[in-house]
Amino acid sequence: MKGTLKKVLALALASVMTIGLGAVAHAADLDTSEEVELTMYVVSDRPAGQDVVDENLNALLKEKLNCSLKVNWIGWAEYANKYPLLFSSGESFDLAYCATWLNFASLAQKGAFMSVDELWPTYAPKNFEAATESAKKQATIDGTMYCVPTLLATYNAYGPIYRQDLIEEAGIDPDMSTWEGMEEYLDAVKANHPEMDGYDVYSAQPEIIMTWMQSKGFNWIEKGLPFMFIDPTEENPKVFTYADYDGVKEALEMTARWNEKGFWSKSALADTDTTKTQNGKAAMRIHNIDTPAGYAAAPVDPSFEFRFQNVVKNVAHLPFTQDCMVISNTAKNPERAMAFWDLLTSDQEVYDAFYYGVLGETYTLNDEGQFQITDVNLYNTSAMWAARTTELNRNQMGTPDWYNEMRAGYEDQIAENDAAEKYTSFVFDQSSIETQVANVLNVQQQYWWPMELGFTDYNTAYDEYCKKMEAAGLQDIVDEAQRQLDEYVKTLE
Amino acid sequence: MKNGRERGRKEGFREEWKKNKPLFIMAAPAFIFAIVFLYIPMVGLIIAFKNYRYDLGVFGSAFNGVDNFRFLFSSGTGWLITRNTILYNILNMVTSQLLAVLIAIFISEINKKIFKKVTQSLILLPYFISWVVVGVFVYNLFNYETGFIPSIVAAFGGEKPNFYGMPGAWPWIICLFNSWKWTGYNSVIYIAAITGVDSGIYEAAAIDGANMFQRIWNITLPSVRPTIITMLLLQVGRILRGDFEMFYQIVGNNGQLYNMTDVIDTYVFRSLLTSSNIGMTAAAAFYQSVLCFVIIMLVNTIVKHIDADYALF
Repeated sequence: MKGTLKKVLALALASVMTIGLGAVAHAADLDTSEEVELTMYVVSDRPAGQDVVDENLNALLKEKLNCSLKVNWIGWAEYANKYPLLFSSGESFDLAYCATWLNFASLAQKGAFMSVDELWPTYAPKNFEAATESAKKQATIDGTMYCVPTLLATYNAYGPIYRQDLIEEAGIDPDMSTWEGMEEYLDAVKANHPEMDGYDVYSAQPEIIMTWMQSKGFNWIEKGLPFMFIDPTEENPKVFTYADYDGVKEALEMTARWNEKGFWSKSALADTDTTKTQNGKAAMRIHNIDTPAGYAAAPVDPSFEFRFQNVVKNVAHLPFTQDCMVISNTAKNPERAMAFWDLLTSDQEVYDAFYYGVLGETYTLNDEGQFQITDVNLYNTSAMWAARTTELNRNQMGTPDWYNEMRAGYEDQIAENDAAEKYTSFVFDQSSIETQVANVLNVQQQYWWPMELGFTDYNTAYDEYCKKMEAAGLQDIVDEAQRQLDEYVKTLE
Repeated sequence: MKNGRERGRKEGFREEWKKNKPLFIMAAPAFIFAIVFLYIPMVGLIIAFKNYRYDLGVFGSAFNGVDNFRFLFSSGTGWLITRNTILYNILNMVTSQLLAVLIAIFISEINKKIFKKVTQSLILLPYFISWVVVGVFVYNLFNYETGFIPSIVAAFGGEKPNFYGMPGAWPWIICLFNSWKWTGYNSVIYIAAITGVDSGIYEAAAIDGANMFQRIWNITLPSVRPTIITMLLLQVGRILRGDFEMFYQIVGNNGQLYNMTDVIDTYVFRSLLTSSNIGMTAAAAFYQSVLCFVIIMLVNTIVKHIDADYALF
């Protein structure tokens, strides 16, 4: 009996080793005899103690791939100007972080990146294998793949982040998946804590009505244009906007009432404090599931019990390109860079050294494998968020139990209803309507934001908004989106 | 005069060089700086007429005519922001220069040395405060719920003014903060000009029985007139450039105020922040530069007609 088990084990081990060897043999196409330094750009502020992390990682990389990695950081204060210039300056670098919000598609179209059609499967075979078809489709612009998307799944789930302790204090039981429930909660908080803001608004785009639309089953097709929606359950979805959809007045009426009840300041759009919910100055905000998980993992006050409730009806994955890695068109060592990426996204040791740093010095682990940064003033996790994979990524210590449960729940929902999932791979090419997009985004900010927050009276302001949107060229955008979407739907069949 | 000019021509550059060698050498760094950093980059203006691609570069990208300029004017906003930019600059130019002259005169009339120095330093201080910090001041002064001014009005029984809902108030608020920030700095130049006036003239006037106001009106003001005109002309050169930081930090994302507060720079920033189209931003800068050029040529010609000595060139 014992002998058989041994034999089976030996066989299993042997087969694992052969598979392993196969992978090694494949990667061996790459000549690593010459030591190279890879250069990588990320967007974030460089942590003060980063040197320790780099040194440790480079020792590991030297041993495994005969290379070292130099990371350049573009700070939050300057990324908007500096990031696009990276690719026009002619500076030679190998890899960079990119994302939908850094204009991946438009930069790819303008020739900023090297094609990864050959590089990715050849030098990062394990990563290529692990990426979903949908991710590969999202990486494709004009028939060529230009990035390696993240392997970590994220969801379009969006909804209220609220405090269970405030609900218990008020002795109510609101259904936070409904807008009436949220209002009941906000009313109660406002009554108990008049000094607090009910709903958290600061000097940025308010996302109440965008979320309201999603709770009604409509999904945006491009998050950068958050006024344009489709109903993903339709067979051939028709693109429409706030200006075509009279039903949105119901939402405007609600936010006008919320404003009157004093759920936010009359000067909220001038307020630059982005931490009001986290710090207990506001009772609720609307965002994604990762935000309250972060609040809960590092609470400002231990009595705050943050909860999250998704209200989006048609749940889907977010495009995997919302975090991705690109190879610059000026790269000197694209092959090695890709091999490094394969190693990083498949090897826990390298991933830990890259993402968290030095165990015991920059981070610690608990029994469940959750991490904690030892000194947040000195160290931080990597800003190359595209390197995260579902297998290798660790949760932060103190991540609430509901976090993993809810995320698993979204997978079930997607499996059950894939209406919206079909459209995740749709990439809206805006190159022919850039002028209109610039104008429309401006109108959106000037006329929609104040109206959404009830600062202007929607009874008159809505018509003005529609007129301004029309003058800015909204119809051209809708027509173009519809044309591209129809084409996309055809390819689905 | 005529003879001299002709002789100058004949002698040419070589003679000039021989005669004024030290002057040429002293001017050389500034000359080279201007060529390298101001003239050579002008070639980049062609981006405004191109559909820029990263892989093709500045010269390789294809021309696309005036497409890049369209976004400024297609929705009718171009005229509004141009008007705002010019009006704001005229208002700010006049108020800050006028106040600067006034303050320079006051300060130079102060006899107590310590008091004079302290006053001058205090007035200069706002120049060193970043607009980001001023933006926080503004919010705390004017926000509806806890702002200083609405609270005072409410304390005296008045109805709380909601400044962030009153676009009409903002040109004055912006003008006020602009003057507060720049007056001290500008006054330094006028103080220098006043100090340069021959004190013998003042003494003579005093002996003739002129009082302080007569001295200011008849001696100080005429003496600083060239300085005032030069300063104004220099400011005119920037008339289409909004002080981006000031507008952005004071107004922020308050869409309701935009019709009264939007200048070309803030509009371009907001519209193109999320875009990677370098051609469109270059087009906006090109438009500003061309209009600036036209305006400064016009103003300079007018000044030349009135009094050629005061013209810049």
